[in-house]
Amino acid sequence: MQRAVLVDRLVKDFEVTQKEPGLVGSVSSIFSPKKKQIHALRGVSFSVMPGELVGFIGPNGAGKTTTLKILSGLLYPTSGLSQVLGFDPWERKPQYLKQISLVMGQKNQLWWDLPAVETFELNRAIYEIPKRQYRQTLDELVTLLDVGKLLKTQVRRLSLGQRMRMELIASLLHRPQVLFLDEPTIGLDILGQEKIRDFIYDYNRKFEATILLTSHNMEDLINLSRRVIVINEGRIIFDGALDELVNRFAKKKIITVYLSKEIDMKQMEHIGKVRKVQFPQVVLSVPRSTAAVAASEILQNFPVGDLTIEEESIEEIIGKVFKGESPIRTKSK
Amino acid sequence: MRKYLSIFRISFAQEFAYRANFIMWRIRNVMQIFLVFFLWDAVFTDPNRLVFGYDRSKILTYVFSLLLIKSIVLSTRTIDVAGEIARGELTNYLLKPINYFRYWFTRDLSTKLLNLLFAIFETSILVVLLRPPLFLQNDPYILGLFLISLALAVVLYFLILLIFSLFPFWYPEQGWGALFILFIFTEFAGGGLFPLDILPQALQKGLYLTPFPYLLFMPLQIYLGKLGVLGAFKALTVSAAWVGLLTVMLRKLWSLGLKAYRAEGR
Repeated sequence: MQRAVLVDRLVKDFEVTQKEPGLVGSVSSIFSPKKKQIHALRGVSFSVMPGELVGFIGPNGAGKTTTLKILSGLLYPTSGLSQVLGFDPWERKPQYLKQISLVMGQKNQLWWDLPAVETFELNRAIYEIPKRQYRQTLDELVTLLDVGKLLKTQVRRLSLGQRMRMELIASLLHRPQVLFLDEPTIGLDILGQEKIRDFIYDYNRKFEATILLTSHNMEDLINLSRRVIVINEGRIIFDGALDELVNRFAKKKIITVYLSKEIDMKQMEHIGKVRKVQFPQVVLSVPRSTAAVAASEILQNFPVGDLTIEEESIEEIIGKVFKGESPIRTKSK
Repeated sequence: MRKYLSIFRISFAQEFAYRANFIMWRIRNVMQIFLVFFLWDAVFTDPNRLVFGYDRSKILTYVFSLLLIKSIVLSTRTIDVAGEIARGELTNYLLKPINYFRYWFTRDLSTKLLNLLFAIFETSILVVLLRPPLFLQNDPYILGLFLISLALAVVLYFLILLIFSLFPFWYPEQGWGALFILFIFTEFAGGGLFPLDILPQALQKGLYLTPFPYLLFMPLQIYLGKLGVLGAFKALTVSAAWVGLLTVMLRKLWSLGLKAYRAEGR
């Protein structure tokens, strides 16, 4: 099967001017601007099959959004290959643009002072969507996202969550085959997030669309993507199943002890990092390799009623990934 | 083509969302005409007086026609382009199967139509109020040349504005400076304040090599019959040459700009 997205040794450098703070800095930056090269992507390679839903994770500034922007033809890559549906995104051919969409949580394409339905009509014309298909898609999307009553309300009067749903509709009216989502749930409340998430999941299944998603929201990733690509400092450090990510990034195990008697916590601190004490429960984190030894030591030296050993939670692990921690074995892919 | 019709329609609707803004802008235009009208009316108290080759009726025609011509040539939405590039909103258009230049030209046409309708209304009222002696051109040949010069002026201003709007590709925070200089130039060197042929010969000659006089001044000169057919053709040639040159320039700058574009913002 042909790959939907193919990226090979993609490099993107930016040049940024730096300014010292204050007035003196401002003046001197006019006459001798200090330039600095930023390597946003340092040779990124991956591919995505049609219909796959892939999550991109990594700390701020890792290069996730840069990758999506190159794939949607907004940024000119410094070097390397990028190909989506067999097109070179940079050429921005109409046939290509009609098959993709990029949704950015912090951007809007809706006309601020007009009802959303006006923007939809405009997009219908721009994407040359046949009238019947437009009606049908719009009905479907409106029902899925539950915004039927808001179509004729001025966009400026909508709440952020309502607007985000309208943005999604505007971006999906032409039924893109490939969807790039950049932080689609940013700034939304829990309920709003859930609606968007369910919708992305449905869209992926219903239209067999290929979806690449970046998010800071762990729930997004846990609920949506089976495959994740971890990117840090412009390099891919992990590409695989979410479960495997846990094995790679989990450096600790969590030991929960139920004591039968109060003890001096100082002694416990020799064994591992005490995370929580709420008698009779004590939670410790210990290095994976020594977890068994630590457990037996606890059993021998303390009045223990019960003891469990668990993996770190997926949230904690993804949290570490966002902070830029590296996996245990940095096996190059 | 249908897509640009839709853009025309929605753009027109959008103008109505900014009613107050629009009305203020029209008031500003009318006030300007009032000012200039009374200035020249004072100079030409004697109707037979001839200053710089203008008599009372021709100068007043010039001033009045400015109101209409400005609404056609200078009313534009393209001034938003610099901001869109600086704020990264250009992204929205780059993602769509649409030609960015045609998009803005279409939006310009819609605002021009709206402004023209208002300008016609205002001019009629002003004519009734002030009763200026107006010069009506009735040579169809000259009127034809006038219309061509007007069309060229519209394209020319669009090209100039767009070129000046591309600065934020490289200096996102410094988009407006360039445009301010442009606006002042357009008013002065375009003939928006006074007819350019009252300036010293040498200065005129220099100005006529720039594209600005072909925005307002030359079309009006053609209308007033001051250039004659040959002179009109000469003006049209220079204007068309500028259109060609600026089109090439815009294309080149645009493709360079896109490579520098960072698609950031907000």
